[in-house]
Amino acid sequence: MCGIAGYFDKSGSGDAPLGCTLLRMITALGCRGPDSTGVAMYQSKRPGCWIARVKLGDSGDLAARAEQISHAAASAGGRDFSRIGAYLRFSVDEQEDPKSFLLSIESIAHDVEVVSLGNSLEIVKQVGSPANLEHTFSISGFRGSHGIAHTRLSTESVVDLSHSQPFWAHGRPDLAIVHNGHITNYHQLRRRYAQQGVRFYTENDSEIVGIYLARRLNEGGGLEHALTRMLTDLDGSYSCLAATESEFGFVRDPFALKPLCFTETGDFVAIATEEIAIRAALDGDYAVRETQAKEVRVWRR
Amino acid sequence: MAEIDAAGRTTREINAAIRLAITAGSGEIIVRNPGARHNLAVALLEPVKLKIAGSVGYYCGGLGDGASIEVEGSAGWGLAESMMSGLVRVHSHAGSGAAAALRGGVVVVHGDAAARLGVSMKGGDVIVAGDCGYMAGFMAQKGTLIVCGNAGEAFADSMYATVCYVGGKIASLGTDAVLSEMEEGESQRLDQTLETYLGADRPAAADFRKVVAGRKLWNFDKREWRIWQEAL
Repeated sequence: MCGIAGYFDKSGSGDAPLGCTLLRMITALGCRGPDSTGVAMYQSKRPGCWIARVKLGDSGDLAARAEQISHAAASAGGRDFSRIGAYLRFSVDEQEDPKSFLLSIESIAHDVEVVSLGNSLEIVKQVGSPANLEHTFSISGFRGSHGIAHTRLSTESVVDLSHSQPFWAHGRPDLAIVHNGHITNYHQLRRRYAQQGVRFYTENDSEIVGIYLARRLNEGGGLEHALTRMLTDLDGSYSCLAATESEFGFVRDPFALKPLCFTETGDFVAIATEEIAIRAALDGDYAVRETQAKEVRVWRR
Repeated sequence: MAEIDAAGRTTREINAAIRLAITAGSGEIIVRNPGARHNLAVALLEPVKLKIAGSVGYYCGGLGDGASIEVEGSAGWGLAESMMSGLVRVHSHAGSGAAAALRGGVVVVHGDAAARLGVSMKGGDVIVAGDCGYMAGFMAQKGTLIVCGNAGEAFADSMYATVCYVGGKIASLGTDAVLSEMEEGESQRLDQTLETYLGADRPAAADFRKVVAGRKLWNFDKREWRIWQEAL
């Protein structure tokens, strides 16, 4: 199962009620994935400035851990620190090499993870229901241009914050994905990437989608190219949404095994596992169509 | 006409309200604010006219026997699955597996149908005004499958005696699916069916192509093992 949802505002203002819309959508899909919930939201780009959201750890004294991370981040130019739930959020000047920044934070302890990083992206996710996510992070107040969301039913890996979705493609700022399905050549690809020095944070097969797309995007060609290539390189069942600071799109596997439907109007694009999520979030007269097998679509802001 | 407002009600409550209206003798029922809910109007066994003012989720009209259901929005997976008789009409698009295992009656989709349309249908008529996704008609056994637009890949794969008509392009034919000439009067009969269910703005029946089983898979013959290798 699992439920995925995405919303893209076409107005270009970057000020749509994004959190509220995504919350309604995943609440309607909550019964498809009661384990954990998460959203990846994009607001107007802040040139030269990253927002980082860091998971403080799995257990122990998180306040002390927050101090430690703040200290390390401050020496790299980190500022505006705030702590919510198991997260530390802060701003930091954009740096040449995201990977060395990640290392400076994540080397503090094995259970510290930069959950999201980017000029425009912020991810919050945790174990529990959509209502829980709203309670902890008040996501309904978030305004922005586009975003993706996920409710998880774990089938092959543990239930915790790190294994929840959306996944940030660690190392590539602003790229996030949500995935419903199974990647059946996951172990093969993971071995290959691990040999090339890629760090895996989880045992969740969905994590590889972000890593894969980051590599394709690094080659150039944009999200549409990357999602289309995915159809030949990733096996299994996948209905997948992916977003960057400027692009938003979906891909559906060649067997159309997992549901995914969408609507596009003059004002917005909304995509979800089931139409019930779109109708719950958005009023108006619009037609919803199920995507076809191998279908790829990308929108740009 | 009985009116049922689905807003704020559970699926069970909505279906119970539909049954109650039928028992009370309503021949025509309208359900408002369906919100794309699953399992609406499943297994209706009375010749009632039911209109759903909006979209429905999965399995709408499934297992029905005689009811006439009209969906003004779109439908999710498994529309009219295993319907015995009656009519299900969707004004917008239908999701995957529409009319799967259909036994009888008519399913009309005015928009597009997604993957696996009419798989394993055992009777009845399916009419899609738009396009259909891949694997439509897979292992279909009887009845008629009509697609006015384009058909996706592996169309009519491994069929038995279902007859298919396609007005647009076929991305690819499935295993053992073959094009066939229409017989004398067949085009007129197709036109009549199209007129009955799509009305005046129907496409021209003469432009349709007919697809049937090549019958290579009907009986096992080990000399034809290559076909069987590809079949599954």
